[in-house]
This record gives sequence, structure tokens and C-alpha cells, in this order.
Amino acid sequence: MSARVVVTGAGVISSIGAGVEEFERNLYAGCSGIGPSPLLGETAVAAEVRNFNPQPWLGNKGIRVLDRSARLLCVAAQMALSSTGLQQQEGGEGDPNLGLVCGTMFGSVHSITSFDWSGVTDGPAYVNPMEFPNTVINSPAGQAAIKHKLRGVNSTISAGLVSGLYAIHYAAEFLMFGRATALLAGGVEELCEESFLSFRKVGVISERGCPQPFGADRDGTVLGEGSALWMLETADSARARGATALLEISGFGAAHDAHNIQAFSVRADGATSAIRQALADAAIAPEAIGCVIAGASGSRAGDEMEAHALRNVFGPRLEQIPVCAPKAAFGEALGASGALCALTAGLALGKRAIPPTAGFHSAQNGLRLSAGPQNIEGDYALVNCFGCDGNNAALVLKGLN
Amino acid sequence: MTPIGAGRALFWKNLTAGVNGIGPVESFDTSAFPVHLGAEVKDFDPSGNEKLGRGSQLAVAAARMALDDSGIDVTARDRSRIGVSMGTTSGEPGMIERYNDARKADGVQSVPVDILPKYPCNVVPSNIAIEFDLHGPCLMIPTACAAGNYAIGYGFDVIRSGRTDLMLAGGADPFSRITYMGFARLGAIAPERCQPFDKNRKGMVPGEGAAVLVLEPLDAAVARGATIYAEVLGYGVSCDSHHMTAAHPQGDGAIRAMAMALKESGRSADEVDYISAHGTGTPTNDRVEAIAVRTLFGDRASHVPMSSIKSMIGHTMGAASAIEAVACSLAIHTGVIPPTMNFEEPDEGSDLDYVPNEARRTDPRIVLNNAYAFGGNNASLCLARLQ
Repeated sequence: MSARVVVTGAGVISSIGAGVEEFERNLYAGCSGIGPSPLLGETAVAAEVRNFNPQPWLGNKGIRVLDRSARLLCVAAQMALSSTGLQQQEGGEGDPNLGLVCGTMFGSVHSITSFDWSGVTDGPAYVNPMEFPNTVINSPAGQAAIKHKLRGVNSTISAGLVSGLYAIHYAAEFLMFGRATALLAGGVEELCEESFLSFRKVGVISERGCPQPFGADRDGTVLGEGSALWMLETADSARARGATALLEISGFGAAHDAHNIQAFSVRADGATSAIRQALADAAIAPEAIGCVIAGASGSRAGDEMEAHALRNVFGPRLEQIPVCAPKAAFGEALGASGALCALTAGLALGKRAIPPTAGFHSAQNGLRLSAGPQNIEGDYALVNCFGCDGNNAALVLKGLN
Repeated sequence: MTPIGAGRALFWKNLTAGVNGIGPVESFDTSAFPVHLGAEVKDFDPSGNEKLGRGSQLAVAAARMALDDSGIDVTARDRSRIGVSMGTTSGEPGMIERYNDARKADGVQSVPVDILPKYPCNVVPSNIAIEFDLHGPCLMIPTACAAGNYAIGYGFDVIRSGRTDLMLAGGADPFSRITYMGFARLGAIAPERCQPFDKNRKGMVPGEGAAVLVLEPLDAAVARGATIYAEVLGYGVSCDSHHMTAAHPQGDGAIRAMAMALKESGRSADEVDYISAHGTGTPTNDRVEAIAVRTLFGDRASHVPMSSIKSMIGHTMGAASAIEAVACSLAIHTGVIPPTMNFEEPDEGSDLDYVPNEARRTDPRIVLNNAYAFGGNNASLCLARLQ
């Protein structure tokens, strides 16, 4: 259990860019992917991957049967594999020690709903059997394994809004226990009418269509979508094959508020505990944290809870710590959010500068957000992910450059 | 929570007596289907949890029984060190069914506000955490029909890595029209009975259920004088990377999962005393599992008893391998292995020991629990009698 786990590559597709370079460029330019969503209909606003076409990454073969989630995941996986030279040969057997751990919240809900709808309207005899495989929640991960010949562990992790961070933690544990040598880990979520309706009906979507994380006048969240995956390896196996280790997974913490399935806990006990556990797991003091990638998404209660937790952990020093709330750029991408935020933290450690918070003009609680990039000191970044079902997770990363 | 009874004692009594939990589906009308069999949990009273989806209701009920059986008073514990790890195929599919029924009847505006937020499958472990005020890690591993083993494996891992002191780990799936339509359309549902490994087997039978195991470090269990049903030695997982619904024809992933579980457990195939088969009853799955066992165990394969309790309780989806892990633990604890019911005639050339039609008193010490799933997922859990 003493093995260190490092990041050697990444893939991402989101409303602010496909590929790490484009994602990084737009993030640091303060661009936002939020706008009208053709996918959700005329009036809806979301951070959609517009004009998404997987063909440049995946070719045409076998694409037709994949739903949107599977396509997004397969594209991110293709990028992450090629970024670190672990693409499996066409026609080859595939590596039994290479796997995938994918976080998701709603999973394949649109495929499931469509399949059931066809049964309800046309009758059970008329459902398309080709669509049935897409109705299991782990179908994107299974499809990615087939597409990319990943024969090792193939897990899907669902912990609501914190799924992406749990997936990274799960993969890191797996590597530490020696059950794989390299694992893609992150998350995927597609925009669809079912998840949008779920959030809109409970009134947490921003009426203005503009999230203001930690802002005094914030009025809710804007949904996003995409997929982000890291290639995680043990430090030893990365070194042995000559791969460059970019980051280390230093610590993870998780705590459930066990309070309510649809409400943030104002006291922030779980969120505070998750951060403290992640710091303890990394064996560092709060003072070692150089920047915070916040999970704040413009949620009235959620952002307040996060600010409260940060204040509990960092005390008066909080005002000096650069904070970025990147969901202002890529939206609340649900099960993919944790992975997108972790990727953001990794970029910040690499550049020694945290990206701007898109559209930022003011923050409550004395948090140091900015409309421009901010330089950071120290080698460690904290990534927060707190869910409205009471689940909280935090990840500590160490830059290795 | 199973189609043959709720609670450890009744489940085990019925399982070793070969009681059948399969019958005509009652939870929805099957007249438009070519098949009608299901394995539903009957006489279940979810009082106090009426607002939860059925997946959560079954899971919370199983968690309560598991905690009661363990004798642990969670209120006297550090609850930040107690976590929940569950597996599922469909989570709360009933919410999607209600959503579709409502919008078909009266349009999308008529859909009640609280239906869709109860759909994401993480609500199932979260509802357990809320019910028992547990503040540790909490997640769902929706790796379809192998999910229970994955969830128990994760619980095992976070106890070993020192993150938690106690884990409630298992699986849950409610009976679902969506699942039933899918398997019916694939022609995978047995018309009359479930006959795993029998030459004339005609399919699986969708079921529902939930099982939760209480996992804790050995030292802690010994120190508090707990009844220790079994020790978790290790687990192995793999992906066929071959086909979404069909198993690899030579059982590649199944073999690797069993081998990984044994290796991690520090055991060899020669030491295995019992295999709880995935054994769904479909012609292909059972054939491939037999090939995998034959390949890994070699000449000894025919001497290792292997049974499928799905012959009695149907295929309870993501709950299946959790319920089977309970069966394995009780087999180890009581020295009795449950039978494969409805077994009449072996496959051509097969000489594997399927423990046909009658429970057997033996002395299983090392047990493998196999589970295979859509997405090419395979998971094998190795359980043992405490030495």
C-alpha cells in the first residue's frame, strides 16, 4: 500500500474545448462554454459540447451504437491513451493490466428513458434489442473498453456530483493494491432532457443562465457536460517505461453528511471533514496548499457551504489562497465535474498559476477569486467536490515539475 | 431481501431446502410479453420509507438486518469511520418508469417534481447513510450484474487501507420493467423455470433483491466477540473488452478474474472447496463459465462443487453477487453448500459437479464467488473460513 500514484497523461472534451491544449487555452483566457443549448431546446442555457463529432478521434467504425455519454468517454480515453503512448494496437489483444474507472451521475439515463419509452408507446415486442446494452449504467465504460481494448478493471463509480473524484480515488487504491499498472480515471456526463428537467424542477438552475460561483447575486447552477480522464500509474511503472510523471495523487478524503438526499448541509461538517481527511492522507498541513479549485457552481446553498468549509480549514489565511471556480466556464458537469476540476488543478500546478473564474466580478466571504490568472506558491492544490445528496469529497494533488 | 425470504436465517433455511422463489410477475402486467416469470420479493413492507424508490427501500431494509445481525451499535461508534459501498445494475429504474408513464398520460409538465432527483443510483447508498447516520465514504458501483462483488471489494480495500473501520457493502436492484423488456426482447428469459448448467436450460429469470454485508477489520471483530461468518481474502476483476452483452467465448476475462482473486488471496486453484457460480441459466453464459472453470482448475474441475442459487432466486441483477456472497459466507459458516435446483441432465461431455437438486454437507474453507456482467465485466471474490 505504499506505492505512489502519478498522472502521466490526460484527455478532455468539454464545452470549452476538446483536448488538453484547447481546454487550457480557453480556461486561462477566461472563456465560458455556457450559452444556448441546441441539445436541450430553444430556450435552455447550458455548457454544451456544441457540434460534437467523435469521428476525428474515433473514426467511423462501431460509432453508431454508442450513445452520447459513450462517445464523449471514448474520445477522452483516446486522447488520454495517445498522450502517454498507451494506445492499444488495432487488431491486438489489449493489455490486461490497463483499465478504466469512470465516474458518472445520471449515466445512460437518456438511453434508458428512450428504451422504456419505446416499450411504453409501441409495446415490449417493439423495443430495439440493439439499444438494450446502452441501458446499463456502466455501458459507456464497457463501450470504451471494447473500443480501446482495455482488459483490466472496468469500474463505473456513482457518487452524484462527487463521482469524478471518487473515481480517481478508486483507481489510485486499485493501483496501490497492485491490481493494475495503468488506469484511465475520471468521469463522463452528457447533457440530456432528463437530468436537465431533474434540476430545473427543483429550482436550482440559474434563471439568468449565468452562474456566479460565490457571488452575492448568484441565482443557481448551469449544467454542463463532457468527459475528462487522467492516465494514472504507479510511480514505479511510469518510471520503468520512461513516462513523465506530471502530478502525484497525494490525498483523498470523503464524508457524508447523512442529512438529506436533496440539500446541502449548512454547517459544512462533511465538507470540512473531507478536506481535513484529504490533507491528513497527503500528510500535509493546510499551510502547504497553494491553491483551491472549488466545486462552487453558483448554487446558493452549495457555495455557501463550501466557503464555510474552507473557512473552517484554512482560517484567516483563506484570503491569501488563490481560488478558482471553473464551473463558471464548463458548467456543472455532474459526474464529470470532479474530473474536470482535478484536471484544472493539475494545469494550475503545471503553470504555477490558477486560471481565472469566468465572468467573475465579486465574491462573498473574502475568497480570493479573480477575473484573471493568479500566480500560486507551493506544490499542492486542493480540489473540492460537494454534492447535494450529502456526499463530499476532496483531493490533494502535488505538482512534480 | 430475496425472493425466497428476508433475513439471514429464513434465506438460508429456504436456500438449503431448495425453495423456489420464481413465479408469475406480479408487479406489472406481462400480457404483452412472450414470457411471464420473475423472481420478486413478496410481502415486503417498506413502512417509514414510503418516499424512497424500491431500490433504496430494499437496500435500507437489508442494511438494517445486517447491522442488527452484527450486533454493532453504530450510535456508539465514530460514524465518520463507517461507510457504505453498494452495487447495482439499474439503481432506481422505477423513477424512469414513473417519469415515462406520467408524460405518456399527461405530458411532461405533469411529471411530479420529486421523481427524477430520486433516479441517480447514488441515492441508494446515500439513503442507507441517512437512515443510519453514517458519515464515512459512500458510493454506488453500478457495474451491472457483477456489481455486488465490486462493492464488497471496495469495502475490503478501504478497510485495508485504513480509511474506515466498518463498511456496509452489498448490492440492490428492484424488479424493473425496463430490465424485463430488454431481456425478453433478447429472448433470454426462461419460459418455465431456471435451470442453470442443465443441458436443456432455456434462459435466466429476472429478479430483485438486496444484500448487505458488514465488513470490519479482523482484529476489531475478534476483540468484540463478533460472529465471524467468513474472512474476505481478496478479489479479482477484469474486462473481456469483447462484446457488450456476450461473454468472451473462451472465458478470457472470467479466468483472469478468478486467477487474480486467488493470487491476491495467496491461494491456488487446488485449494478451492466451492464455487458460487454466476450461472444465470442462459445457454451461452453457463457454457462459458464452465469452460473458464475447466480451464483454470484443470483436472480438478470436476471435483470442485459449483452451484448456482439463481435456480431458486432468479437473477437479482446488481444484488446477485452480494446475495451470493452471503450464501458463500453462510456455506463457510455452516458447512452446507446450496444446490443448483432444476438440474436434470448435464451438457454434452460435461462432468462438473453442479451440486444438483440437494444441498450438501461438506466443509468448504476456501470459496470463490463469481459474477459476470454486461460491459464484459467480471469479478470474483475469495472468501474463507477464519483460520
